[in-house]
Amino acid sequence: MKRTQCSGTQRSGTHERGTNAARMNAARMNAARMNAARMNVRKAAAAVAIGGAAAGLALALLRLRLGRLRFDRGKAALQLAVRGGARYAGSAPRLFAVAGARRELLRHDLALQTAEDVAVTLGAMKGVLMKIGQMASYVDDGLSPAVRRTLSRLQDSVPPMSPELAARVVEEELGLPPERAFAQWDPQPIAAASIGQVHRAITLDGRAVAVKVQYPGIAETIAADLGNVALLRRMLRITAPSQDVDALIAELRDRVLEELDYRREADNQRLMAAYYDGHPTIGVPGIVPELSTRRLVTSELSDGARFAELAGWSQEERDLAAETIYRFVFRSLYEIHAFNGDPHPGNYLFHGGGRVTFLDFGLVKHFTLAELQPLMQMARTLCVDNDPEAFRRSMEVAGFLRPDAPLSTEAIVEHMAVFYDTIREPGRLTMTGDYASAVVRRFFDLRSPLAQYVSVPRSYVILQRINLGLFAVLGELSATANWRAIAEEIWPFVQGPPSTPMGEAEAGWRARRQAIAACPA
Amino acid sequence: MTADPYAAATGLIERSAAAFVSGVPDTNADDGFFGPASVTWRVSTGLASPVAGLRALLMQALHPLAMAGVDQHSDWRRDPVGRLAATSAYLATISFGERAAAQRAAARVRRIHEHVRGVDPVTGRQYAAGDPALLLWVHVALVESALAAGREFGLPLPARDADRYVAEMTVAAELVGVPAAMIPSSLAALERYIESVRPVLRCTPAASESMAYLLDPPGLDEDVAEIWQDVRDGAIAVLPAWAREMYGYSEPPALTAERRTEIRQALGVLDAVVLGEPGVLEARQRIAVRMRTARRA
Repeated sequence: MKRTQCSGTQRSGTHERGTNAARMNAARMNAARMNAARMNVRKAAAAVAIGGAAAGLALALLRLRLGRLRFDRGKAALQLAVRGGARYAGSAPRLFAVAGARRELLRHDLALQTAEDVAVTLGAMKGVLMKIGQMASYVDDGLSPAVRRTLSRLQDSVPPMSPELAARVVEEELGLPPERAFAQWDPQPIAAASIGQVHRAITLDGRAVAVKVQYPGIAETIAADLGNVALLRRMLRITAPSQDVDALIAELRDRVLEELDYRREADNQRLMAAYYDGHPTIGVPGIVPELSTRRLVTSELSDGARFAELAGWSQEERDLAAETIYRFVFRSLYEIHAFNGDPHPGNYLFHGGGRVTFLDFGLVKHFTLAELQPLMQMARTLCVDNDPEAFRRSMEVAGFLRPDAPLSTEAIVEHMAVFYDTIREPGRLTMTGDYASAVVRRFFDLRSPLAQYVSVPRSYVILQRINLGLFAVLGELSATANWRAIAEEIWPFVQGPPSTPMGEAEAGWRARRQAIAACPA
Repeated sequence: MTADPYAAATGLIERSAAAFVSGVPDTNADDGFFGPASVTWRVSTGLASPVAGLRALLMQALHPLAMAGVDQHSDWRRDPVGRLAATSAYLATISFGERAAAQRAAARVRRIHEHVRGVDPVTGRQYAAGDPALLLWVHVALVESALAAGREFGLPLPARDADRYVAEMTVAAELVGVPAAMIPSSLAALERYIESVRPVLRCTPAASESMAYLLDPPGLDEDVAEIWQDVRDGAIAVLPAWAREMYGYSEPPALTAERRTEIRQALGVLDAVVLGEPGVLEARQRIAVRMRTARRA
């Protein structure tokens, strides 16, 4: 992270830095899993992305992962969540204690004791199914209830490692047993992670950290099972009704393979943390590189309110949180060309005043400019230029629409417009579940004359599905904003002026960033 | 012999899963006849179980008198899935249930067997389901199939554990009325016994017909039907060559490492599908907790 200051620029964001530095992965932890019924999942709202990122196509999700998340309470711990803008940075011992208090209930009685236990539990395609299940909310619109049940139960079926097995992985990765590699190490995990588990610890130099430890042998098993493309296709034919199964498989395989190497996650998170350094409302926990390896990722702990707790916050607070999430997603897409593939509610910590900490960068999709350009063109031609013919051409260029489709441009625009409803016109608008359902119904209307001419190119399959996950989160918050105005701020082809107080603060941060960047080292 | 058509295999997964759950007690007064430290529990919870089960049926059906009893007396044709589920429930109860539950289930089976008597239309021989010779064949086919399927698709058992499994399982045969002295209690004895029975074995029309049904049961969900093809390939691959010949199945290609992995993967998916059925996760966790505890002790 660049810490040099140019003369004349003020890093007023430094206190933020301190706070942003204090987040905790404890989010993954208990509250990350919320009670399905309570979350009222189907209320998801889809809107369409800026940039046509959501360009609709496809999409679907709506059964956001919320669906299966458990909300393990711990009321006392929740009270610690700081509201209304109090500073949430804490001393290492306090953060360590809070992480322990928020500990997830795990089935220690079922703990995996050996690598063979891991193989029995997650081998033979089950680890792969579990990963698909984790992403199921984003890929599953065609899931039969039986398959959906299977996927969610599979997640619940994975027990933690025994303390000894986890310690062995740490030692293999760091060359030291955990109690020597760390000043303090909690041998019991505080949370489950998809192919590992999270331990709380304090580093030798005194930082409170969350250490994600991967199950031994799991990466090899999953990588081997991902090789059975025929079976994957069979499984996903069940899960994905539309025409893009092969693209989806290829993309899922790549993303899951990436996720098996925690060094990638550390890199992604470092990239995000560096970019958002000093941001007024967006925080990304810092990575501790010397304690991060292929099967270990160590990041700073922080503390904050969980998604479920937002239900008790004022709508104003919820709107601010939603605005930050929205800005984070599209700033990341347009500035870093990266899209966090896991928008599920467990991956946020809320600190009030719109400040949000973003966690878990295991599933990040990086785009080339060439991949992004067509999406931008679609948004631009439809929403800014209002040029239907150009919009149609950009859909064709992006690969969403077959060039020879015997359809009128009006029909295409009419069909697609719903995906852009929240950003076509300026004005305040509330994300709702009903709107989301309408979008999904539209998209999956296979009787539509468009259905056979529309497909989703591989680079976008995850993006667009996850996009709906994002909007499901916004819908869950019933968030209101002038989304178009915010989009204009972020759209590189508009670069509109700040449209909200947060936009003003962000503009200041951007100016400082640029000044720093321009400063000779 | 009647030629009633078979009913569709609708609900195979659901009813098999429910059968398994029914056999696993919520709380247990004793560890039953095997217990969490047994090889039997390890084998019974293995991924290869569906292959083992199908192979066992293929072997059992080759005994003309055993097959005739099933064909003429059970509601096998009218409700094949129900019949299979009843067997699964029985096996789960014997394996995981308390002693009293296992004994009750075995007594019920013995009572039913009393009425199963007749003449096999193919050999003209009289049969009785309670005949220890028939019961023993059915038992041995099951035990040997579990080992054969486990060798290829499950966790490989060390030779000593395979012997232990055969010895542990003798109690299952005793429960249905086979005198202990008749029951092979080592792998070698098991194999000698099978050799001794071979001259009696043959593929009768009833066997041919019912196994053709099992290998490709109509009425499965599409996704399950595709996975079932792998289960079938696995079962046929681990049949003895002479059994395949009796059925007239063509010699399958050698089981390569790749094919073995594919079948294991399909079994994993099937296992996950079963896991999605009500109560299965909890039942498995109850078993797993007891096994982990036993291992730690």
